[in-house]
Parts: sequence; structure tokens; C-alpha cells
Amino acid sequence: MSQESQVTQLPKETITFNLNDRDITVPKGTTVMEAAHRNDVYIPHFCWHPGLSIAGVCRFCLVKVDNRPKLEIACNLQATPGMKVSTLLPEVKEAHKWALEFHLVNHPLDCPICDQAGECKLQDFYMEVGKYKSEMDRPKVLKPKALNVGSELVLDTERCILCDRCVRFEQEVTKTGALGIFNRGDRAIVGTYPDKKIEHNYQDNLVDICPVGAFTSRDFRFKQRVWFLKDKPAVCPGCSTGCHVNVYAKPEVRTYFRVKPRESAVNSHWMCDTGRKTYKHLNQDQRLRFPVATDTTGKRKRVSTAEAVASLVAQLRSVAVQDVALLVSPQYTCEEYAAFFDFFVKKLGVTKVFQWREPTEKLEEFDGLLYRGDHNPNTFGLSEALAKVGLPKDVKNGFDDLARSGAKLVVALAPEIGFQFPSLESQFQRLSELPFVSVWTTSAAAYNVQAFKHLLPLKGFAEKRGSFLNYQGKVGELAHPFPAAVDDAHDVVEVVTAVADVWAHAL
Amino acid sequence: MSEAKPKIILRTEGLPDQRSIKTYVDKAEGYTAVRKVLGGLSREQVIEEVKQSGLRGRGGAGFLTGLKWSFVPKDMPGPKYLICNNDESEPGTFKDRYICAVNPHQVIEGMIIAAYAIGANKGYIYTRWEFQEEIGYLETAIKEAYEAGFLGKNLLGSGFDFELDHYSGAGAYICGEETGLISSLEGKKGQPKVKPPFPAVSGYLGRPTIVNNTETLANVPWIINHGPKAFRQWGTEKSPGTKVFSISGALNKPGVYEVPLGYPFESLLNDEGGGMQAGRSLKALIPGGASAPVLTPTECEGLTMDYEAMAQRGTMLGSGAVIIIDDRQSIAELLKVTIDFFAHESCGQCTPCREGTGWLNNIMDGILDRSAKPDNIERLRTVSRNMGGKTICALSDACAMPVMAFVQKFSDELHAYLAAGSGSHRQ
Repeated sequence: MSQESQVTQLPKETITFNLNDRDITVPKGTTVMEAAHRNDVYIPHFCWHPGLSIAGVCRFCLVKVDNRPKLEIACNLQATPGMKVSTLLPEVKEAHKWALEFHLVNHPLDCPICDQAGECKLQDFYMEVGKYKSEMDRPKVLKPKALNVGSELVLDTERCILCDRCVRFEQEVTKTGALGIFNRGDRAIVGTYPDKKIEHNYQDNLVDICPVGAFTSRDFRFKQRVWFLKDKPAVCPGCSTGCHVNVYAKPEVRTYFRVKPRESAVNSHWMCDTGRKTYKHLNQDQRLRFPVATDTTGKRKRVSTAEAVASLVAQLRSVAVQDVALLVSPQYTCEEYAAFFDFFVKKLGVTKVFQWREPTEKLEEFDGLLYRGDHNPNTFGLSEALAKVGLPKDVKNGFDDLARSGAKLVVALAPEIGFQFPSLESQFQRLSELPFVSVWTTSAAAYNVQAFKHLLPLKGFAEKRGSFLNYQGKVGELAHPFPAAVDDAHDVVEVVTAVADVWAHAL
Repeated sequence: MSEAKPKIILRTEGLPDQRSIKTYVDKAEGYTAVRKVLGGLSREQVIEEVKQSGLRGRGGAGFLTGLKWSFVPKDMPGPKYLICNNDESEPGTFKDRYICAVNPHQVIEGMIIAAYAIGANKGYIYTRWEFQEEIGYLETAIKEAYEAGFLGKNLLGSGFDFELDHYSGAGAYICGEETGLISSLEGKKGQPKVKPPFPAVSGYLGRPTIVNNTETLANVPWIINHGPKAFRQWGTEKSPGTKVFSISGALNKPGVYEVPLGYPFESLLNDEGGGMQAGRSLKALIPGGASAPVLTPTECEGLTMDYEAMAQRGTMLGSGAVIIIDDRQSIAELLKVTIDFFAHESCGQCTPCREGTGWLNNIMDGILDRSAKPDNIERLRTVSRNMGGKTICALSDACAMPVMAFVQKFSDELHAYLAAGSGSHRQ
């Protein structure tokens, strides 16, 4: 993030240089690597990372500058007016081949059992510039493997190519400095200082920036080959920062595997480990799989969505509108709130609307990097939606007010990210004591509360379209949904539309 | 032509109490150059004198000293630093160590003048950790210089301050590389930094810093006292002055000798060095420390000891470490210890050096225990060729260059060694 602010502070003055016979204009002071990165010219590299300082150690990004005797590294080469740079000359290609050969001298080549396989820079470059016959025929240097360096991480120093990215991340981003490179020459190994462990909430970023399989994620290790995964862009629902992410899943088996950050102005290149766990509740085994309603004897049973909607409409008709209350968690999209309030508040005239928030939350908390104390992705959007229908927009947990309101029928949009709501179970219990509650939720937890007589399964954040407004009111878009892991799941817009439809026809 | 073997550096050598400030002041024009400089020369004048002298860095690279000084930005406010690189670690080199033992005050005087020229008020002498005795000599000399008023505040009433400290790393070859030295001095792991920025602009603690070799700095007082023209009466057009050589090997008188640059190798070997030991003959010459490519006896014919003659023969004068290889030495074993040194001392940052030096060492292990395939001998050259010119500092090249020369010039011997089965006395 510091890098981005540096970029914006650069003087407006620009220069034009030539890269692979193409004229490129960049702000003065830009390196050839940055210029290439911004203009979609790929220069192979390991140690350079747009979010970190320049190390200049992998010696992979060598380019040829006209009229200069030696090849130079693009990452530390300032573009100057008229400079002519090539990445395509045979001598550059040959240098890349050898750069890779050197990287592989002591690399164990254990791709068949390595989690990084499929998204490994060594593999990518091997296909692109590799020497197809290695000249190395001597025994390799052996180094420590499977090291426990942090709660989320496993480190294999033999796979490590000593690019120093992780060390710089620890120094520059989290400023925890737990990692260093010890010893010298080909005995050099990356590791934690004797009295330190990697303990922060950003550990998995080390897995992301590690260009090889040295750091692997404890959560994802050995779970799935990455080439079987599909990824779609989304926004993290874990807190009000709203990091831009990619969600990885295997839709054919309705299983989600991981969440990784996607570069954006909101989160630069990073995200926290808490946010990375927001895929778990999407999996089928965590989900409410079907709508539930009661039969005439009052017994709970599985019903179709249409039956569930009809039963809710019937209940709504049986009570006065002032006895209806809405309980809304700030974890739904702006579009869902709009549809929900449009029907219940504007059309039906419900006035008792309460926010469903975690009572122990500390809104003002912030870790200084990304993770905020408001563990909801759309507090801002909910406030706006409330204001739009003329209701108080204050951020306030309304759970106790609801209990005192004497409502006879409650429609509740339950929190989606259960692990961010330590009080969820007790809140479910209290809620179930009310006369009639229709719980709209993704989670199987509500089903386990026997007293709930009416349940509607919802889609998770990765399965719907819509938008969150983060703590600054910046829009985060959910535009590329996965098919829902549960057949009967719908988003709130779909459910409300169905309810409104039945309501209108029944009139 | 004046005297054939002038002394610019080792002026107090052999005098009673040779390294004391008294001897230096009484017998070797000690601290007169500082008086001259602080008495009225401008910074620009001092730099100009040194530029005119053509003095080249004596640490190995031979870069023009005056030019280096002129890279320091003049108008930048805030501290600047001068560092004396006394981390002499090139295998075969022991001349700075000797200079510290013989004439440490001349180094200190040179530092005061250099600091004045670049506008530095703080200097460090960075000495190789293993030189414990010399560290003592230097610390004594610094103390003496402080007591005599040549170090400290407002030197000789000129208003110029110069504080000098001594520092020592943990003993690493790479800390002789100027940015590696700076990292070490900053308390970090001793490894070179990416350039640009260069130390003259952003060095120690991110401030403009000049790093000069011990012998280089010791030349400065003489140049100030006698002028560039007098300095240029010795040496060659492009290599003016004298050079302190450290000569080792199967000689009758190995040791440290100061001779003019351009001095014939044969004289250095036979006059200063006292000739080969009885029954030994010259098999090869490493003219400038372990990183200098080896020369065969034929290539040594007519060789003179200066930067140009060495470059002409594809090698370098380096730090002036003349290593005589005699006929009893095994090239394979020599090559192994050379590579082993660089593989051990590579800081491990840059991939081609880290993996390349290790790979070469690995191959040499295979040659010594005869487990390597014969094509590995040629591979030493291929690997070396691809290690060169691609790293932050010159250590990779320093390993690659001698390896390529050894393999090119002694390929037959290496193949014979590998084919001979067991028999190495190392085993």
C-alpha cells in the first residue's frame, strides 16, 4: 500500500522509452519492470513484487539495454528517455534459461507432492524458458522440511529459492520481522528468528507471494490440485474493509476450497487470515439445505420454496402489520436490502426494523492494516437502505429492542458468517422464544434449533450478484456467482420477489 | 629517473618504533600534508590534486580515486561518511595488514585529507576480524592521533571536525565489497546492496559515503606533499605510483614489497622474492589474488606489474596478491580450495552466485573423489560463464574468472587427475 501512495506522489513529468519495439510513456522515476507490469509486457521474475521493495536478488528479470555492455535487472532499472530495452534478444533468452537452471540446482523437483504445482513460477518459467536438459548431475544440498513456523503455515526450505519476498513482507507490510535468511551461499535458508514465530493475522499472504511451494497453507495443504479449481472474483464478507478476493471452488462437487486476495485499491495485494476462512460456511455440509415449514399439526417438515413462501404469506396475513418486525444482519447486499425493505416497509408498512449485530463487537477496532472491528461487509449499505425508507440509520444492535417490541411475527435475515458472531447460538435460542420467526439463512445451525418453525435457505456471498458498501462507502461488487451449493437456496431478492408475488395474487 | 624503489607507503618500515606517531612525524613527514590541506587548500583543490595524480584504488578494482571522491554530491546537507576498507580477505593478500603494522598513521592522515575533500566529519576503519593484532595497532594509532590533535573537533584551528572510529565485522570476505561492508557497519547481515543508488550518493545509513582501500588512502598524504607530477614519476601512464605487493608461494623470500607499478614480474620474483626455492619451478602465477585468472609461465614472460599489462593478458592486478604456483602443486586441488573459498563466502543473495559457486564446488568434490563424469570438467566453464556479470556484486565473477582460466589452461591436468583413480594425498 505504501508503494501505491509513492506512485501517486511521483511528479507528473513523464518520459517515453522503448520496450520490445514499443514506445511506452510512464512517470519519471518508474522502473522498467513497473512500466512493463503496467503495460502488460511480461518480464519473468521471482523476487520482484509490486507490493514490496526491490531486492534485486533472483537475477531473473535481466533485460538488454541498447549500448550497455551487460544485461541489467529490470526491477532496479529506471526507465530514461529514449532508452531502448529488449527482453526478446537471444542473449536475454539464454540468460533466462540459465537463471532458471541456477534456481533449479538445489530445488527438490517434488512437484508431484507439492501444493504449489499448477501455480508455481518455477513450473511456468520451465515451460516458457527452461533448459530442457538440465546440466546438473551432482547430489543436491538438503535442507529442513515441513517446519512449523506459524499457525497457518508450513515451510519447506528445500523448495525455497530465497527470493526474500517473505522476509520483506514481514518487515514492510506486517512489520513483525519474524523471518530472516540465515547462513550463506547454497546453505542459506529462510526461517524464523530463534525467539520468534509468525503470529499475525496475515500469514497466508506469505503463501500467496511465495513464488514456489516453500510456504504452504495449513488450511489448503493436500486438499486439492489447483488445476481442478475454478476461481471467481468476489468481495470478502469478513469485515467492513471489503477486500477484493477470488473464491476458489470445485462447483461440480459443490465444494469451496479457499479465498485469496485480488489486487485492488482497497486491499493492495493482501488480505487477512480471518477473511480467508469465509469460504467454509459455503460448503454443503454447513448449509441449510431445504425450506422448512410446519404442517397443520404444528410439526416441522421439509417443504418446497413455494410452500414455504405461501406459508409465510399466510402468517403475515394473520397478524396486524404493527406486530410484524424485521431483524436484519449487515451481511447482505444493497440490492437485497432494497428489495426486502421495498416490500416489507414500503409496501406492507412494517415499522419495527432492527439490526442483528453481534453484541460483543467493537466497531472502532482496527489492526492497522486491513481487518476492522465491524465484522460485517455491509453496515454502510444497511444504514443507507434504512435511511432510504425513512428509518433510523444508526448502527445499533437491535436484538434487545426486538425482544421488548412485542412483535408476533419476525422475518430475520440471519448473519451469514457465523464464526464472526460468537453470540449467534444464544441469539438463536432467544429468537426462537418469540411466537413466530421466519429465519432466512445459509446455515444449518438454525435448523438445529427445533423451535424455529419456518426456515428459508439462502445463497452465500459467492453465489449471488449484488454489492457491498465498505466502511468508506466504496462499492464492492459481487458479479460472478458460483452456482449455489444447495439446490433450494435463493438470494433475498429472489425470495422477497416470490413473497411479494404470492401476497399480490392472494389479494 | 629517480630512485628505483621509492617508498610512498612503507616509509617507516624497519625504523625503531615504526608505527608510533613520533616516528611518523619525525621520519616520514607525518601529518604535514594535513597541515597543508587544512592550512588553506579548498576541497576542490584536494580532489583535483588526487585526480591529477591518477591514483587508482588499490583494493582490487583500480577505480580512479579522485573521480570517486567527486561523485559525492557537494551541496547535500547532513552527514557524510568516509570508510577505510581494511577488510583485506582476498586469498593471497596481506599487504593492508602489513601497512597497518608498519605505518598506520599514514592511513589515518590519508583519511583526514579524504574526509576533508568529500566533506565527511565521521570516518570508520573497517578491519577484518581476524587481524586482531592490527586492530590493536590501529586503535593505538587512533588514540595517538586524537591526543596529538589530528582527530576530533576543529582540527588545527581550521574549523574542520573529523571523528574516527574503528569497527570490525565477524570475518567475512563479502564485507570487503563496499556495500557489503556498509551493511555490516550498519549492523546488518553483511551482504551487498543493489546499485543504484551508489554509496557516494546513498551509502552508510543512507548518507553519501566513500569507501577507500587502506593502501589507497595511505597514498594521499604523499601526493598532497609532493604533488601529482612527482607521484607520476613512478609507474606507468595509466598506473602511476607504487604498489605494495604480497608475494607468497615456494619462494626464498615471500613477503610484502613496495615497488613501482610497471615493475617487471621477473625482478619481483627473483630480486624481492629471492627466486624459487631450490628444486622448484614456476608452474603458474596468480597475479592478483584468488579471483585473478591464472597465468602460465609462458604468459609471465615479459610481464610487468601494472593494471594494463594484466588486462592485456586477460587477468588483473587485483589487490596485488602474487601467488606463485610451483610444479609440486596439484591444479585440481588448488582449484578446489579456490572454489571452496568462494562457495563458502558467497553471501547467498543472488541466485547465480549462490547456486553457481555451490555447484562448482560440488563438481570439484566429484573430481577430487573421482565420482564426477568427465564432462563435468568442461561444465565448470559453462557454469562459470553463466555466473558472470549477472549479480549484485563481483563475487560471482571473482569465482567464475579463475575457474574459466584454470580449466582452459590446465584442462589436461584436470582430466588426468580425474582419470587417475585414487591417489590424492588429500584423501
